[in-house]
Amino acid sequence: MYELFIAVRHLTSRRRQTIFSVLAVGLAVMMLMWSQAMMVGFTDEMYSKTVDSTMPHVTVEPQEDEDYIHLYRNLIRNINEIDGVVSISPILTGTATFEYKGKNKNVVMQGIRVEDHDSVMYINDNIIDGNFRDLEISPNSVVVGDALAEKLDVEIGDTIDASFPEANPTNLKVVGIYDSRTPMDETLAFTSLSTVQDFLGVSDVVTTILVRGDDRERAQAISGKIDALGYPASSWKETNPEIIQTLKMESTSNTITLGLIIIIASFGIVSTLFMVVMEKTKEIGMLMAMGVSRRSILIIFVMESGILGLLGALIGVMLGAMFAIYMGSYNYGFEVMAGISTIPFVVRIQDAVIIVLFTFLLNLIAGIYPASRASKLKPVEAIGRD
Amino acid sequence: MFDDVSDIIIQIRNLSKIYGDGVEIKALDAIDLDIKRGEFIAIVGPSGSGKSTLLHQIGILDTPTSGTILLKGIDITKMSDKQRSKMRNEELGFIFQYHHLLPDFNALENVMMPLLIKGTKRSKAKKMAFELLKEVGLEDRINHRTHQLSGGQNQRVAIARALVNKPSIVIGDEPTGNLDTKKSDSIYELLRRLNKEYNQTFILVTHDERMAAKTDRIIRIVDGKIAEDSKNRKDF
Ligand SMILES: Nc1ncnc2c1ncn2[C@@H]1O[C@H](COP(=O)(O)OP(=O)(O)O)[C@@H](O)[C@H]1O
Ligand SMILES: [Mg+2]
Repeated sequence: MYELFIAVRHLTSRRRQTIFSVLAVGLAVMMLMWSQAMMVGFTDEMYSKTVDSTMPHVTVEPQEDEDYIHLYRNLIRNINEIDGVVSISPILTGTATFEYKGKNKNVVMQGIRVEDHDSVMYINDNIIDGNFRDLEISPNSVVVGDALAEKLDVEIGDTIDASFPEANPTNLKVVGIYDSRTPMDETLAFTSLSTVQDFLGVSDVVTTILVRGDDRERAQAISGKIDALGYPASSWKETNPEIIQTLKMESTSNTITLGLIIIIASFGIVSTLFMVVMEKTKEIGMLMAMGVSRRSILIIFVMESGILGLLGALIGVMLGAMFAIYMGSYNYGFEVMAGISTIPFVVRIQDAVIIVLFTFLLNLIAGIYPASRASKLKPVEAIGRD
Repeated sequence: MFDDVSDIIIQIRNLSKIYGDGVEIKALDAIDLDIKRGEFIAIVGPSGSGKSTLLHQIGILDTPTSGTILLKGIDITKMSDKQRSKMRNEELGFIFQYHHLLPDFNALENVMMPLLIKGTKRSKAKKMAFELLKEVGLEDRINHRTHQLSGGQNQRVAIARALVNKPSIVIGDEPTGNLDTKKSDSIYELLRRLNKEYNQTFILVTHDERMAAKTDRIIRIVDGKIAEDSKNRKDF
């Protein structure tokens, strides 16, 4: 492959121009790689802060025209068989009016199995006083959010009156207070499953089943399989479309901006290549006189552009990844994002590969124009008259 | 003595080349010319008479306005670029006045280049190129680039490069034009020796009447026409 030999020699004899072109592309690629790592890390962090810690991956509802899931124990057994399912929590939701010493508030009461619900929603992490486990040990107990506790002015050990039209009024002893840092803290109270069942006067039924999988990206597949079991299920992507939308939009506009920078850097290579073609007009004529075909002249110059692009891309990706890893491991000593003092860069091999391929191809294509100009020179004109 | 037709390596018929848009310059005017294998020819004539133009046509470096050129019986005006390139690579060797070496490559690599283009293996190309550089007396200069060599040395590299593929036709446009008499003579001796050794055809444009006198055949061109051909003189 003498074309490669000539292309490489052209580049090595024009060292300064070569280094400059490679650096221009490398810098642009570095920025793209770095910002991609930041974007992926940021997105990951967003997901793990929202989807992974506060949302069920899949929510299962009663069949059409039904208020409850009657055979939920059976259904849970079937869901458990599905690949990727990690934990399942059946819950019964009802509305109640809580009253304590003249203060009252309408709340959403969720009957749960503490162990199961914690494995899906990590509620134990949010407890600030008392204990979730007591819900199952002592009958007629309740865990309330800190905002609700404040509204009603209750503490651990106090007893709240719960009532609602058509429900069976009951007393609930406060055994725990949680703080999820969301508006839920004012409206959502947890009790045991049987407590809500008694309150609503229903048999052993639930209104919802929450499911967590091993990977949030698997939620859709799991929800599809539950659908097939005859119960309407929706993944977190369907229940919270706005999360995906915002993250997608942000990363797309970011990628477009940086893609443009790479295109501009590649234009730099094209103009350098044009200069080289002009400079080497005479040599191109000599090569043709020695028997290099027009096609091979084209190949030589496209190769030069491709090599510059590939080198720039490789260097840029490496530098970008190194910066990202370094900056990601650096502890800033203050909160850069809610609850963390490092920037969560994530360097993914697939991003690096895509960026390198994109840059390489772009430069191959960009090189075609000056290369075809070179290949269309007439050998006699290229040699020039002595 | 009759020409053996199979011995004719270049056959030119009614070849014209007109330059220019607007003002037309007839650089070649209906040339007919037969050249035999192994001939050592000088093309002479006043400046601007069309010598270089004729050489470029024979070397397939340009296309004619009309007429035909057969190289080894093949009409080069009807060839594709790929065929023309192959012909230039395998059948033709070029030597120009201003040594036209590739500046990014050293002497050895320059001589290797036609072989590499042909597809010869690198190690073999290296050996062949070295042998030829030795023959032109430059075995101790193989790693020098063109700017590190004198005019005469450059010209000898160019000659080695023109001959390395054992072309059947070697064309030179004032190959010794920029050299002094002594150097010019030694180059001439070299070309003449190669011509005898390998029976290659040499067509050299020259201003140097002394050198022309030492060739087998002198073709004089004036105003794009063959004004005189020493071969015909002998025939009469
Ligand atoms: N590329 C060209 N464009 C226009 N005119 C040309 C070109 N090449 C040569 N000519 C003209 O053609 C004529 C023959 O030129 P050339 O073959 O170079 O002459 P020589 O080599 O005998 O000095 C001259 O009048 C020259 O000016
Ligand atoms: Mg001339």
